[in-house]
Amino acid sequence: MSTNTTPVERLRDAGLYSPGDAVLSVRDLNVRFNSENGVVHAVRGVDFDLMPGKTLGIVGESGSGKSVTSMAVMGLLPETADITGSVRFKGKELLGLSDKAMCKHRGSDIAMVFQDPLSSLTPVYTVGTQIIEALTVHNPTMSKQAKEARAVDLLRMVGIPSPKDRLKAFPHEFSGGMRQRVMIAIAIANDPRVLIADEPTTALDVTIQAQVLEVLHTAQEETGAAVVMITHDLGVVAGMADDIMVMYAGKPVETGTVEDIYYNPRMPYTLGLLGAVPRIDTATKQSLVPIEGTPPNLALPVTGCSFAARCPMVSDACLHGEPELFPVPGVSVPGVEGQTLGHKAACIKAEELSGNADAHKIFHAPPKPVSKFDGVARVERDKVLELKDVKKHFPLLKGALIKRRIGTVKAVDGLSFDIREGECVSIVGESGCGKTTTLLEIMEFHPDQVGEVVIGGVSNKVATDHKTKMAMRKEMQMVFQDPTGALDPRFTVYEVLAEPLENLGMPKAAIRKRIMELMKLVGLQPDHVNRFPNQFSGGQRQRIGIARALAVNPKLVVLDEPVSALDVSVQAGVINLLDQLRAELGLSYLMVAHDLSVVRHISDRVAVMYLGNIVETGDVDDVFDNPRHPYTRALLSAIPVPDPQLERTRERIILEGDLPSPLDAPKGCNFATRCPVFAALPAAKQEKCLTLEPPLASEEEGAQDFACFFPDGEIDADMLVVHA
Amino acid sequence: MTNIIDPIAEIDESRVGDQDVVIGKSRIIFRRFMRNRTAVAGLFIFVALFLFSIFGGFLTQWDKDTLDPLNIGMPPSPDHLLGTTQAGIDLMALIVDGTRTSILIGLIVGGVSVLISAVYGCTMAFFGGKVDATMLFILEALIMMPAILVVAVATSGSGGLKDLPSWLLLVVVLLFFSWMGTARLVRSLSMSLMQRDYVKAAKYMGVPSRRIVWRHLVPNIGSLLVLDFTRGITGAILAEVAFSFIGIGIKLPDVSLGVLIGQATGQVSSFPWMFWVPLTVMFLLTGSLAMMNDGLRDAFDPSSSSIGRAKTKTAKKVTK
Repeated sequence: MSTNTTPVERLRDAGLYSPGDAVLSVRDLNVRFNSENGVVHAVRGVDFDLMPGKTLGIVGESGSGKSVTSMAVMGLLPETADITGSVRFKGKELLGLSDKAMCKHRGSDIAMVFQDPLSSLTPVYTVGTQIIEALTVHNPTMSKQAKEARAVDLLRMVGIPSPKDRLKAFPHEFSGGMRQRVMIAIAIANDPRVLIADEPTTALDVTIQAQVLEVLHTAQEETGAAVVMITHDLGVVAGMADDIMVMYAGKPVETGTVEDIYYNPRMPYTLGLLGAVPRIDTATKQSLVPIEGTPPNLALPVTGCSFAARCPMVSDACLHGEPELFPVPGVSVPGVEGQTLGHKAACIKAEELSGNADAHKIFHAPPKPVSKFDGVARVERDKVLELKDVKKHFPLLKGALIKRRIGTVKAVDGLSFDIREGECVSIVGESGCGKTTTLLEIMEFHPDQVGEVVIGGVSNKVATDHKTKMAMRKEMQMVFQDPTGALDPRFTVYEVLAEPLENLGMPKAAIRKRIMELMKLVGLQPDHVNRFPNQFSGGQRQRIGIARALAVNPKLVVLDEPVSALDVSVQAGVINLLDQLRAELGLSYLMVAHDLSVVRHISDRVAVMYLGNIVETGDVDDVFDNPRHPYTRALLSAIPVPDPQLERTRERIILEGDLPSPLDAPKGCNFATRCPVFAALPAAKQEKCLTLEPPLASEEEGAQDFACFFPDGEIDADMLVVHA
Repeated sequence: MTNIIDPIAEIDESRVGDQDVVIGKSRIIFRRFMRNRTAVAGLFIFVALFLFSIFGGFLTQWDKDTLDPLNIGMPPSPDHLLGTTQAGIDLMALIVDGTRTSILIGLIVGGVSVLISAVYGCTMAFFGGKVDATMLFILEALIMMPAILVVAVATSGSGGLKDLPSWLLLVVVLLFFSWMGTARLVRSLSMSLMQRDYVKAAKYMGVPSRRIVWRHLVPNIGSLLVLDFTRGITGAILAEVAFSFIGIGIKLPDVSLGVLIGQATGQVSSFPWMFWVPLTVMFLLTGSLAMMNDGLRDAFDPSSSSIGRAKTKTAKKVTK
């Protein structure tokens, strides 16, 4: 051990804590699990120091060990796991503590916010009981009144309206975003010094994500806690974190301040990740940076650089010995306040990457493909799909024995749009706005539907016999959101791809030939056809799903959140593939997505839906660059951008509340209850919004259609937030 | 450390270069089952009993129809390994025969009822609506019916089924009452499978309903069916024992474990071997199945902890 240690380090080695030191200090953390394939070394030597009041973002794809690290810190891993190293909270060693001893720290010193708000609250207790429970455990002497008052305070702090009454509400009476707020309230109940947020917004809608991030921000300001933010989304941490740790294959591969990581990445993996994220703020159509391959199998010893197999800059030296985290030469500014980690990268070529390395060039991103339809004006192309006033209303019934109708849920309320050859139309909106119902209505294709669906010239009104239906099925195929769920686990890839072809009565030899073609088309090795879906990675599975959709040579492919279940690095490859297929095969896409950056990247046209209606539709660049409807403006401003400086100075519209239940939809404009423009309007003008339904129309020829009376109205100041 | 090259590790690595080591599901299930010692012991006992019921006849020169007038009501002796009944029949011969009947009833009832419930349950789930409601009503009605009365009436010969051997009659009646619970389970499981995207995908491709049920639903509830098969065997054996015990199940001249136990209850103090031997065999039979079932459940359940610990293994590695 070296002799020239700082006093702080000496204190730490002695097991003591000095006030200026890190609240949480992790050293050489290793976690091993047993699996059917042998012992998996899930976390391989993680070091970090968390300074009081600071935010550390841990970024990485699934399986990189980021969640396991947080669970190890909390002592929540199963007893079968083997954990070594050191986790110190204010100098006190936490590893090796018994579960009972750990309980003293959990929830009071270190608290956690979990990913899924739907399952982390007990459904049979009121939220008040659950908050008070958290208080009781760590403050047994607190009086009942004091606890209740504190619980009300907490709910108010996380922005739950009329907190006193909501104390008695059960979790199911809250929406997902509200439940996540309650979770945050429980986490900060005992003024923790460290708050670990494990993908706190992944399960939420973008508008709700913006709200919850805002609440986390307030919570941190109020309690002064240090936050560990675990996420796969580089955008989410850009505005929040002070320091970033990028993890790959169980090891940190690059650490530094946000600026270091976002503006000066020195590890090819970080560079690739940044290039793989589509940006919502750029109109330039450039293909994304794909990171090919999959992370290494951690059941085997890692001999070289763990990223070598996927790295475009790999050389022989990379394969011998795993590089340690080295300080990046020449850029670290010592002594800067908050510089806890210093910029370090685990790459022997960190110096080569200095300056403005171009991820597109390094990762050989393919050029943006051009479709044969790109040159043809939109009105001259054929319509592949047309919807005319499609409606889907669900009756709302009440009563056990004799059901009576108490209302109607208007899931889709009069939708009309069309898709031309070779274009991609996206439907965006929060969950519950009716976008999935729209897809299902199109896929059902039944004469009894309200409204007309015309696919490739065939209307659902005339599709009564099996033959016309089969013809329509040939025109249109679907790609599902979850690639794992969309493939029968007991089918080999060959059987999966053969199913639609057999159904058309194709001869065996032709099926074989077609399957080989399809495998090549979607970039899979043709000799993998005898494997089962679980032998492929998520991205490859989605490629199989795409191949199945393309098997019958459809004109239109319906994409239901095609990349939302995939890791960022894999997502880029799939998006590029979709782009390329559209150009090569002249396909049209109808896509539903909640990730607006992906929509911007891939679509030509976009339709914004709110409560079963389209509120704004038009060319994607028009809508995104010059949104007219306040809802579109709010949606767009809710998307985090992977650029720390922009993210910190950007104005954001934080919508209040959730999507109202379609049951009590407002009479006039649907959006009036949450509208930031409406809130700022004088009462005389508000009247118009409340009584009349705004029509979907454009202001000038060629511009987008929107449904709002006051498109450029001023936004209520309370709903605007800027982070300083 | 670095100088030592492990040839096996190298092979492993070359395989990984192509693709991560992926183990087939059946192999994982087998491995997990084998890791559960109790379950393996159960399997062993069951196989032993099964072999005994088939080849056990060679262990004694007597059969169940021959009386030995020299040995009436005798305790175990070299002549009669398990003793004789008060009529002078060799108990070993009776046990072999009884075990065979019990296992036969168990296997047939367990197997066929699983098949019925799989088909019935999947049909209910797939068609839904009115079909589902009607079929569910029939199922509920059957659950309400008092099985014991039906068994008593059917086996007493008043049902016009006199020419069937009594064990077959019992099989038919047990089958009639054994499949409902599983069918309901299969129905709810299939309903959740119906929500899976791959079933939707097949529908949107225009694959006919019958083919979807057969190719997508039935194979995916396979593990449940296997589990229910072993559970069904246990249930059927116990039911047979219970019915025979109160005298409404298997009728003489057919012999089953239940009949033997029932006959001997009156004379536990005077002829204890006649009571304890069939009881032990029955206990071994149902017990071994229960042990196996536990292991199977562990093997099929991906969240079970039968993977083992990382700690012990790494400790071994260090000592190496």
